[in-house]
Amino acid sequence: MRLCLSAAVAGGKLSSLMSKFAGGRGSSLPGVVARRIYPHALRELSTQGKKGIIMVTGTNGKTTTNNMLAKVIEADGHRVIYNEEGANLITGVTACFVRYSTLTGKVEFDYASLEVDEASFPKVVKEVQPNIVVVTNFFRDQLDRYGELDKTVQVVRDSLKELKDVTLVLNADDPLVAQLGVTTGHNAVYYGIAQQQGMERAVAQTRESRFCPQCGAELQYKYYHYSQLGDYSCESCDFKRPRPDVEGSEINITEGTYIAEVCHSGECSSLNLHTTGFYNLYNGLAAFAVGRILDIDLTTIQEGLKMYSPGIGRMERFRYNEKPCFLNLVKNPTGYNEGLATLLSLPGTKDVFMALNDNAADGRDISWIWDVDFEILAKHQQELEHFICSGTRAEEIALRLKYAGVPTTKINIIRELGDAIPAVLQGEGETVYFFSTYTALWPSQRILGSLAEKEGQHAVGMSSVS
Amino acid sequence: MLSVCHLYPDLLNLYGDRGNVIAFLQRCRWRGIPVDLQEVNMGDNINFSQIDFLFLGGGSDREQNLMAADLGKHRDKLAQAIDDGLVVLSICGGYQLLGQYYRTLDGKEIPGLGILDHYTEAGEKRLIGNVAIEMELDGRKVKATGFENHGGKTILKDDVKPLGKVLSGYGNNGEDGYEGARYKNVFCSYLHGPLLPKNQELTDYLIKQALKRRGMEEKLTAIDDSVEQSANERMLKRLIKGA
Repeated sequence: MRLCLSAAVAGGKLSSLMSKFAGGRGSSLPGVVARRIYPHALRELSTQGKKGIIMVTGTNGKTTTNNMLAKVIEADGHRVIYNEEGANLITGVTACFVRYSTLTGKVEFDYASLEVDEASFPKVVKEVQPNIVVVTNFFRDQLDRYGELDKTVQVVRDSLKELKDVTLVLNADDPLVAQLGVTTGHNAVYYGIAQQQGMERAVAQTRESRFCPQCGAELQYKYYHYSQLGDYSCESCDFKRPRPDVEGSEINITEGTYIAEVCHSGECSSLNLHTTGFYNLYNGLAAFAVGRILDIDLTTIQEGLKMYSPGIGRMERFRYNEKPCFLNLVKNPTGYNEGLATLLSLPGTKDVFMALNDNAADGRDISWIWDVDFEILAKHQQELEHFICSGTRAEEIALRLKYAGVPTTKINIIRELGDAIPAVLQGEGETVYFFSTYTALWPSQRILGSLAEKEGQHAVGMSSVS
Repeated sequence: MLSVCHLYPDLLNLYGDRGNVIAFLQRCRWRGIPVDLQEVNMGDNINFSQIDFLFLGGGSDREQNLMAADLGKHRDKLAQAIDDGLVVLSICGGYQLLGQYYRTLDGKEIPGLGILDHYTEAGEKRLIGNVAIEMELDGRKVKATGFENHGGKTILKDDVKPLGKVLSGYGNNGEDGYEGARYKNVFCSYLHGPLLPKNQELTDYLIKQALKRRGMEEKLTAIDDSVEQSANERMLKRLIKGA
């Protein structure tokens, strides 16, 4: 059926071209078109790899983990294809292969590294057989799209069970993820973070899993990192945090770089990540663990991780005159809480921009912002100059801040992103921090990019979004 | 001093419903009304006579079952307190639980606490989306907005009045045009959003009922509600033509 595949690839590529002319991003459109022309397109394209397929799924950190991993594999001299822009539904995964394919439907690669949306995971693995699956974490996300968290975990677990010859790379600190090692029966490698000293975190955070996934009793924790991530054990059965095969510890942050120590098989070395945000250490450790499974040597993994630069909205950095600006995509309470912790860890005074949209891709129900611990901001009022609230539900985020105890004199509502972004850049603060939900991210990034300078040690590989 | 009780905050923490508790507390504090919060979790004792405002939310199926079993132990005391005028706000799963029963798709009836006279039947499709309702508070018509997401369809019997009429969205069951329930000082609703922060007139009404029950001064000082109003109006404009 080479002809069908070829037509599908050509159709996909054409649609991408047309969409770019029309000013769209077109990241999953080629996949939609190719699948419509030839439903087996993904299956046939994905089996052409020489070495293997890696998938990254979970709630937060998929894009970052996957992009870090791709850098690690590239550093080892392999040809890797990956959906770097985060188009992670089955159409996006298909589009990724179409993009790298020749018009005759040939695609040359050693590894494919694919981030896959949790809810789409069963569908994708029916067509693409992964050799390694990374599961980052499970948090509540966009409820009106996925139903409840338990169901998401169950869906991923059930489809993992059906896979053969797969190695799992699991976050040991998340009980919802770690249980997959036992419940699926697959070979599993665990990564985690050792106990930290003196890190300020919101204490009363929303925790997703209080109960043992094996027996239902309440889990006991020695410590928490954030949300339900930490060192847990069940008192009534043998379920507990597995000992991580790859463990990170001793963290320093200097000038937007994370320095951690990572230990694997009794061998410890340092890990530098050009990014901020505690959660990004998890992403780095996951990429490290996969690198070890692929037998990539330590220095090459380190080099690869150094080459990583944050993608759009993943703590992307800009500079406006002399002012550093950070753009942070937020999708759920856990990610937002981590974003707030990162904001407060920055030195000096800050202006804050918060865009809240309620389109389908953001989650139409915005009530999740009440599960975010904005109360922590009221405790740090002196360092926070102004909050500019924007987006289709700008008033709701302003309301949330008001009830969190932020003085209303510090809160402004400017609905249009195009007016709100210049306003926040003009603020008195020494740093500007941008929070944005998914559909406000691209326009925010574009507007910010036109006013401020894009930064980053390794800005190469950033795709154009204009 | 008003005592606020949040039931099972650890368990029923879906959909940001804790915002209802935050709103009640803050609007008391901003007016200098002393208020304290107790969070009651599984297995804890509850002294209903010391509570002025009780909040019960909803959770995922598993958590809701755990909660129902625990609350069942306090059923009679809760019913007595409600009879005595305890101010209660109950959302979504908590609303369903206060009723007679929940009938699943295969016809099984899971008993509720049976304190209010309504029942719920599982529907074929979930009712999801933005909602606008109109309710009457102290003889005044007030429009409220929120977001509903429920699989059950609730039907009210004679003793129970609806909280409001649906202006846009599904409401209790998508058929009879009613949303939520009211019985004595119990207010039930499917509205997340959460309900109280941007529908501040309802919040203040609940505070007044709680004060009245304690024989305290029930006249509330005014608060600048412009953010609440603009959040509400924004949604009303979107949902109702000409609003």
